[in-house]
Amino acid sequence: MRITCPFCGERELGEFTYLGDAKPQRPSADAGEDAVYDYVYLRDNIAGVMSEHWYHGGGCRAWLKVTRNTLTHEISAVEAAAGAGAAKVGA
Amino acid sequence: MAGDQANRLTSGGLIDRSTALSFRFDGENFLGFKGDTLASALVANGVKLVGRSFKYHRPRGILTAGSEEPNALVELRSGARREPNTKATTAELYEGLEAASQNRWPSLNFDVMSVNQLFAPIFVAGFYYKTFMWPAKFWEAIYEPAIRRAAGLGRAAGVSDPDHYDKAWAHCDVVIVGSGPAGLAAALAAGRSGARVILCEEDFVLGGRLLANGGTIDGLPAAEWVARTVAELEALPDVRIMTRTTLFGVYDGGTYGAIEHVNDHLPVPPEHQVRQRLWRIVARRCVVAAGAIERPIVFAGNDTPGVMMASAMRSYINRYAAAPARRIALFTNNEDGWRTAETAIAAGLQVAAVIDARPDVSPAHRSLASKGGFPVLHGSVSAVDGGKTGVRKISVSLTGGARAEVEADGLAVSGGWNPAVGPTSYHRGRPKWRDDIAAFVPDGVPPGMAAAGAANGAFGLGACLREGFEAGAAAARDAGRSGNIGSMPAADDEIFSITPLWHVAGKGKAFVDQQHDVTASDVELAQREGFQSVEHLKRYTTLGMATDQGKTSNVAGLAIMAAVSGKSIPETGTTIYRPPYVPVAIGAFAGHHRDENFHATRLTPSHHWAAELGAVFVDTGLWKRAQWYPRAGEKDWLESVTREVKAVRSGVGFCDVSTLGKIDVHGPDAGAFLDRVYINAFSSLAVGKGRYGLMLREDGIVYDDGTTSRLAEDHYFLTTTTAKAGLVMQHLEFCRQVLFPELDVQLTSVSDQWAQFSIAGPKTRDLLQEIVDPAEDLSNEGFPFMGAREVKLRGGLKARLFRISFSGEMAFEISVPARHGEAMARNLMIAGEPFGVTPYGTEALGVMRIEKGHVAGPELNGTTTAGDLGLGKMMSTKKDFIGRVMARREALVAPNRQVVVGIKPTDKARRLRSGAHIIPKGETPGPENDQGYVTSVCFSPVLDQWIGLGLVERGRERIGEIVRAHDPLRSEDYDVELCNSVFYDPDGGRQRG
Amino acid sequence: MAEFSWDVRSPLERALIAGPYGAQGDSGVALTEIRNFDLVQVMARRGKAGEMIAAAKARFGVAAPETPKAIGTSDASLIWSGPDQFLVLSKGGKHSIEALAPVFAGSASLSDQSHARALISVSGDKARAMLAKLSSIDLHSDVFGVGAAAATSMDHTSVTLWRGADRNGQAVFNLLVFATFAESLWHTILDSTAEYGVTIGHSEEF
Repeated sequence: MRITCPFCGERELGEFTYLGDAKPQRPSADAGEDAVYDYVYLRDNIAGVMSEHWYHGGGCRAWLKVTRNTLTHEISAVEAAAGAGAAKVGA
Repeated sequence: MAGDQANRLTSGGLIDRSTALSFRFDGENFLGFKGDTLASALVANGVKLVGRSFKYHRPRGILTAGSEEPNALVELRSGARREPNTKATTAELYEGLEAASQNRWPSLNFDVMSVNQLFAPIFVAGFYYKTFMWPAKFWEAIYEPAIRRAAGLGRAAGVSDPDHYDKAWAHCDVVIVGSGPAGLAAALAAGRSGARVILCEEDFVLGGRLLANGGTIDGLPAAEWVARTVAELEALPDVRIMTRTTLFGVYDGGTYGAIEHVNDHLPVPPEHQVRQRLWRIVARRCVVAAGAIERPIVFAGNDTPGVMMASAMRSYINRYAAAPARRIALFTNNEDGWRTAETAIAAGLQVAAVIDARPDVSPAHRSLASKGGFPVLHGSVSAVDGGKTGVRKISVSLTGGARAEVEADGLAVSGGWNPAVGPTSYHRGRPKWRDDIAAFVPDGVPPGMAAAGAANGAFGLGACLREGFEAGAAAARDAGRSGNIGSMPAADDEIFSITPLWHVAGKGKAFVDQQHDVTASDVELAQREGFQSVEHLKRYTTLGMATDQGKTSNVAGLAIMAAVSGKSIPETGTTIYRPPYVPVAIGAFAGHHRDENFHATRLTPSHHWAAELGAVFVDTGLWKRAQWYPRAGEKDWLESVTREVKAVRSGVGFCDVSTLGKIDVHGPDAGAFLDRVYINAFSSLAVGKGRYGLMLREDGIVYDDGTTSRLAEDHYFLTTTTAKAGLVMQHLEFCRQVLFPELDVQLTSVSDQWAQFSIAGPKTRDLLQEIVDPAEDLSNEGFPFMGAREVKLRGGLKARLFRISFSGEMAFEISVPARHGEAMARNLMIAGEPFGVTPYGTEALGVMRIEKGHVAGPELNGTTTAGDLGLGKMMSTKKDFIGRVMARREALVAPNRQVVVGIKPTDKARRLRSGAHIIPKGETPGPENDQGYVTSVCFSPVLDQWIGLGLVERGRERIGEIVRAHDPLRSEDYDVELCNSVFYDPDGGRQRG
Repeated sequence: MAEFSWDVRSPLERALIAGPYGAQGDSGVALTEIRNFDLVQVMARRGKAGEMIAAAKARFGVAAPETPKAIGTSDASLIWSGPDQFLVLSKGGKHSIEALAPVFAGSASLSDQSHARALISVSGDKARAMLAKLSSIDLHSDVFGVGAAAATSMDHTSVTLWRGADRNGQAVFNLLVFATFAESLWHTILDSTAEYGVTIGHSEEF
């Protein structure tokens, strides 16, 4: 598999580490136990198109949000995490 | 007969008659020529019997001339280089080649196990499953070893492979699989357009079927056209032709696996060269021009030596000038098979008869038969007479019911052609059936791939060239190349007409899968017993599961299954195709990564100094760490480690702790960031101070710990454990980039920038004062416990000094830029000499941390909470942090959790072992009474006995209680006392002193 | 008082043996370790990428790389190392972390990497063939031209790879590898290079 890092270009799978479902958002500090429980444990495992976190640790160390079809490994989109390249915020 | 090449034709062939090569097969000497394969050299020498079959030990000969060969498998080379199951049909002949037949004893001619043939009726599909059922334990002890001795293929070398293998990457626009007419035409079109092209050919000569079939292209004889084309391709700078290279797998995103047999055609690779190289090819487009594989017809005696695929006979005669037989009969169900009769006549061989299963034969072939003086028999071969010496007589069932016999010493068989649909089906594409050619053709091919030529079911030469050229041009265009592709090579198209015939009913064993000895009746039996699905058929009969992966047998097998189950072939379908296309040596996948290079290693800055001192190293993750420094006269590790601990506790010692992960945390929000990742506060830490920190996972379990110091308002220096360094960096980057992108914080690994040493013991200050500039104040006032700041060393070098202690002694950690690390170790030895300075290793470090009750890896084991470790009070209630909410869950704060506690045997002389289970006194050991286990142990020189830490239910409430340490692994059971986990200096006076 | 020497030792000092290695004859690869350099990681602060680039321009006379590139000046190379960050590679202390701290004050965080890496320069006819065994990056001239850079991995180890100016008509590839991995990677490099024949050396100059 190859992933096109928005910073580095197309790279082979070995440079990346998989984390998992990118949809859950970390609840705010006052969200309560149920919300955090859902965030920690409830993960979708979709047979189809899924948004996932990948880490380009063998490259530029950017965290990426990758849209991948888990059945075909087709990658339809890759975007950087909000804090990767954040130095350009407002610039 | 030996060595005389009696069956070598006097002229023709792509062999170099001026270079004779001597070789040995089963101990007998033979000669062949450069350009031969082992198989063609055996054919030239009239050798028909080359092996014994897998299950029945039937005599077998050479069936094919390519990588689809099921029978002619040999052990190639000897000693450590002996390689079993090597196909004689692809093994390139070299001077001194040694090969031995397989699965026979004592010899190929007289094989004791061939008695299996007499018991053949019982060795049917599922025989092992049905027969060797009871008693169960007999399977491993008796049945399996006995079966393995009797059945099987070659023997592995049994010793380490002396050769080197490597792996490499290649990148191109278009990778082309196969160099037959379609492949060469594709390469021409793509290459001319300016594309970067890789052409993979598994053979050592380019040309594919042209080598065996000849023909005319662009008015040139095929061989001349190949030479001209190759010359043109070689002149293109971005076309790379890789012979002896098989593309074996298709992976995601346009990545392909290929194995290059770099030096398999030599007895031993030249010095510094590899035997094989595994390629990972990244290509935008792929053209599969891998051709087609001629398929056998299943009839009784179809495995007799001398029965050979018709196209293979053409290869041996035309390419190798080797006659597989003198008087050849041909059994075909299609037009293409007739070419072998033409070839045989042209080579001056006799054609005994052509047995054609079709109702009609073309007028051209009728006149060939009358000119050649041989009969055309309409019907099928029903039996073959001949044993290990090969075919003698062929029985024919004529259409209409009559019988005929044909005397011949070779039988060529053509059952039609199967496009090589492997590579196009590796992404679970299912090939589709085409009635007109009675074959499966590619469908559902992976993205970026196209099949062309015979691989796509186009069997005519003209069609191969057209499809190849067009596929090459399209692939290049898709890759953005637009150069002039010139004119398309042209040739006539032959007619291909086929009447499918899969199986001729008759008496005697008719083999579908010759390598795994699966017969037509096995397939029928499988159907009767309910294994009708092709996937079940495959597993039940092992059809197609051998090293050839059923290249000559799969389609016939499923056609027979279709017939007996009353379904059509497309309804029956194919099994799933999976890589590799050909067997690939594990050594090639490993490449450089074997023995001491199994994985990369990391060396500490003082590594070579420690090695000079004779340190014993231990692998911790990728690191080599000094475990202890033995001295002359010390009888074991324990003596060395005990000496090192005593030296530290009474004087001073030092240890390289550079393996700890070190991370620079910069930015205005660095403190706020650390507050969120640690359970305790760091924004409140004063500049110039360090603090022990604990990180949780979001589920509330402890993740990692370490000391983090504030070096400036916006700069923290964070340390991790050795084991988790990389993972903590990844986790922190996740926090920074994904969870908390609003924070202005920057992270850099500085693990390799700093050589860090722990200096510990009551004389630490004495030693340090020799090292640092006299102006630096190291007193308790000038450098209090947990202080952290930059200092100047004697000589002007700057260092970082941290007053932290893992040993419980007065201690500092000192960091210098890594290239000074070795000098630091040497200088500590010089400066410490008056104080008896002692370098210590990870064992002594471990002893001292256990004596101090500090937790480490065995306690931070992915199941423990901060409370379990006795660190629950560190958890801030004033801020959010990772793991905060989940850590408060009922089960994670339950009063009966297993918590860290000290453990010591009541018998001071007894050795405590980690892993021992804690059982209450008077209870029976077992899961219901298991209250925890011993996590870490050491011999404590201070207490003069073995001590340990453990995770024990309610442990901290049970200090003083005597319990049992039950160790079924070592058959030990003894009393231990639960005690305070801080065995040494519990009030901490020494480290603050 | 004892006299101390704080001599530096390259992480390759033991493993590197200058001279020919591997196949005899004309060597296909030249490997040169460049010793003793200053290397500073410059990371823009949040929202400060523009200021960092301006500061770099003022200091070095060139814009800092915003894409995977290496930009050479008369006395430093600026090598892209990730989003909003780059490395400053130089010699002689002119662009050490102490010297650069005031330049980037407020716009970027600096981290000294001078001792964290070993620098290996690879050239020769077979440089690409050898690097193809270590690197999954396409190094074809049309794709990886002079000045191209990559944050990538070799042998599962992070490396910074960039193509310097050609020397004697041949491409020169530079590798910054982590110091503690350097010896191990060096042996892997030698293994990969042996078949081509290699000339090994080390230098104090770029």
